[in-house]
Amino acid sequence: MHSNRLGWLLLAPTLVILFFFGVVPFFYVLWLSFHQWNPFAANPDIVFNGADNFRALVFDAGFLASLGVTLAFVFFAVVSELIIGYALAQAFMKDFPGKAIFRTIHTLPLIMAPIIVGSIWKLMTTPSIGIIPSLLDSWFGFDLNIGTSAVAAFTVTVIMDIWHWTPLVTLTLIAALVSLPSDPFEQAQIDGANKRQIFWHITLPMIMPAVLATVFIRLMDALRTVDEVLMLTGGGPGSATRYLGVHIFKEVFPRTNYGYGSAISIIVLYLTIVACWLLYVSLIAPRNKKG
Amino acid sequence: MKLMHKLGASAIILSLMTGSAFAQDLQIDNPEWWQQAGQQFEGVTLQGVTESTPPSNFVADVLAPKFEELTGISVQVETTSWDQMYDKAIKDMEAGTGIYDMIYIEQDIIYAYLARNFLVDITAALNEKGDLKAPTYSEDNFTSFADNFRGEGGNLFGVPMEAFIKIYLYRTDLFEDADIQAAFKEKTGKDLKPATNHEDYAEIAQFFTEYGTENDMDLWGTTAQAHTGHPASWYEYFESVAPTYGVYNWGIDADNNYAATVESGGTMNSDEAKAAMKWWLSMRDIAPPESVQSTWTEVATTFAAGRAAQGLVYGENAAWIASDESKSKVVGNVGVALPPMEEGVMQAAESGEGYIGYYDGGAFGLPVTSKNKDASLLFLQFMALPEVQEEWAVAAPRITLTSTYDAAKVKELDDELGGYYTMLRDDGKLFKGAPPYPFHAQLREATAPIFYSILTGEIGPDEGLDQMAQKTEEELTALGYRQ
Repeated sequence: MHSNRLGWLLLAPTLVILFFFGVVPFFYVLWLSFHQWNPFAANPDIVFNGADNFRALVFDAGFLASLGVTLAFVFFAVVSELIIGYALAQAFMKDFPGKAIFRTIHTLPLIMAPIIVGSIWKLMTTPSIGIIPSLLDSWFGFDLNIGTSAVAAFTVTVIMDIWHWTPLVTLTLIAALVSLPSDPFEQAQIDGANKRQIFWHITLPMIMPAVLATVFIRLMDALRTVDEVLMLTGGGPGSATRYLGVHIFKEVFPRTNYGYGSAISIIVLYLTIVACWLLYVSLIAPRNKKG
Repeated sequence: MKLMHKLGASAIILSLMTGSAFAQDLQIDNPEWWQQAGQQFEGVTLQGVTESTPPSNFVADVLAPKFEELTGISVQVETTSWDQMYDKAIKDMEAGTGIYDMIYIEQDIIYAYLARNFLVDITAALNEKGDLKAPTYSEDNFTSFADNFRGEGGNLFGVPMEAFIKIYLYRTDLFEDADIQAAFKEKTGKDLKPATNHEDYAEIAQFFTEYGTENDMDLWGTTAQAHTGHPASWYEYFESVAPTYGVYNWGIDADNNYAATVESGGTMNSDEAKAAMKWWLSMRDIAPPESVQSTWTEVATTFAAGRAAQGLVYGENAAWIASDESKSKVVGNVGVALPPMEEGVMQAAESGEGYIGYYDGGAFGLPVTSKNKDASLLFLQFMALPEVQEEWAVAAPRITLTSTYDAAKVKELDDELGGYYTMLRDDGKLFKGAPPYPFHAQLREATAPIFYSILTGEIGPDEGLDQMAQKTEEELTALGYRQ
């Protein structure tokens, strides 16, 4: 009884912080999503409008377009990060000259604030001035212009996200690979399994919990990307990189459309939960049943 | 490492010394009055938030310390990005937290703030508290730009601290080069001189872009503030280009139920607006490639880097472009002129019916939520004293008091800037700030996606402006301004 009370006492600061900075804002946003509120409208009052905001979302071409590009961004970014991150993790499992230096450099993007990452990439990709367009032009005669080409802007935002977040995947997978027991691998080699078979039937199943945890984290992060993209392209050209986070930012802050912006936020949260749930039921639940 | 520490410390000391050097240059009349006025506010610290610009930095680095030295009132001025500044100020006033005692008010947001009763009536407050009125402060000292910060009764709700016009800058070294002049004459049959109309401007722009290509130079004929995802492009079109085609106030007729479409009586999708858009897009196409990623800052940088022969540039950048060799490659080679315009626009501007370009600037206001209103009133007056204006105008090209034009250092700088201050004084009346709408950002963001689609070519300019005008009326109806 005593230890139970002590446990709650120790947890109390965390719970209080979570309540005020997590639970209260969530319910406030949920409440706002059922209201019309623009403080710079002729009527600046908060007016209950039922499910109108959510109804409007279904027919909002801007929101639907934003949802589409966001899903494409998330798919390309997360899958690429997983593949590159795993390859790098495997490389770091081996010894090679300069490994420590390379691993440190590789991890540096992780400690950078997204706004700085966006600024750096903006400097590197400014048409005709940035180092990347200049080199692409002089080496291949390729004109990279993220201000006019939707495909180029989308691709650069994906590459920027990969550059920023792959180290996280690498570090997580290194931790998972290091902790694997050597017995199954030795037995597989004795049984004559090749590298591909070892990867699919031993390595991957054993590191799957770490892979899934990484995918969940990256999925949630990628779905709410704002600062990097806002700094790099502003959501342009046109709406080519107006991902959901950027869309919400523009609705909520400059446009002060707080009610509608809140409704979009709730829907994005719902979509994130659904995406994670789908991953869970398709990949983890079957494994648990087998166990 | 020690060297880095020393360098860092030296930089900090140098910056502090620069600020204090300026502060020492300021000679304030009646210092005893300020000392006495400040006595009742012992221990008070004023908090301000503003955009990080040269004029604001002068407030933070020079005026604030000088004010504290005189009155004992500490002033902390937070200089941050444009977006952050608005975010912080609006949230503070909306929530009534009273963190800020002074906020920067850009000319185009004052109407939204007045509509929400966010600001203290400075005229009324000073009339009410005569003991706080500084001897050399007077509203009569301000230029006409101060009218942008007056309420319906003519009272002042913000003390102007920066004011500049968006001007036509051109490279004098190129325009006055005999060989280039001859080549231009041969190609066009005209003399090379700053353009007064769009046709001439386009001809010059085309000539220099071709000249740059032919001579393997990083030179283009014009700048363009044409970012495909940032509101800077929206502003360049509506506030700098459309007015020169006779399309004013963003093409919205506030007296006609906020009509925007031609059918309702607006001009946002008028023939003039469409011609302006096509002309501007054609200029964007022959501007430096970075123009599609350029906001107001990058346009100035492009010009300062010597990559454009001419362009429309915000006047706040004129001083450093023309005189700061550490940042600009075109020092001593900058000329200023009025923007090119269609026939009839100048007459409309002179008669007060129209305008030829954008008069931008800002003021410091006092939020009604401030917990130190009286002390803030003192600092706001301090910012508007004639004694501090000369050094301020030299540090940042801004003039808000009529007497500043006659200051010796300002006249000297005017020569270096190719007559920018003279133009501001004599022709400032031809320019105008943003229209007095309380829904600036709301309307801009509602129509911006369509605007960006025009820039990327997804929608044609005619169709795009039709859609924007339609969207404007829908948005203003939803906001409750259009009935």
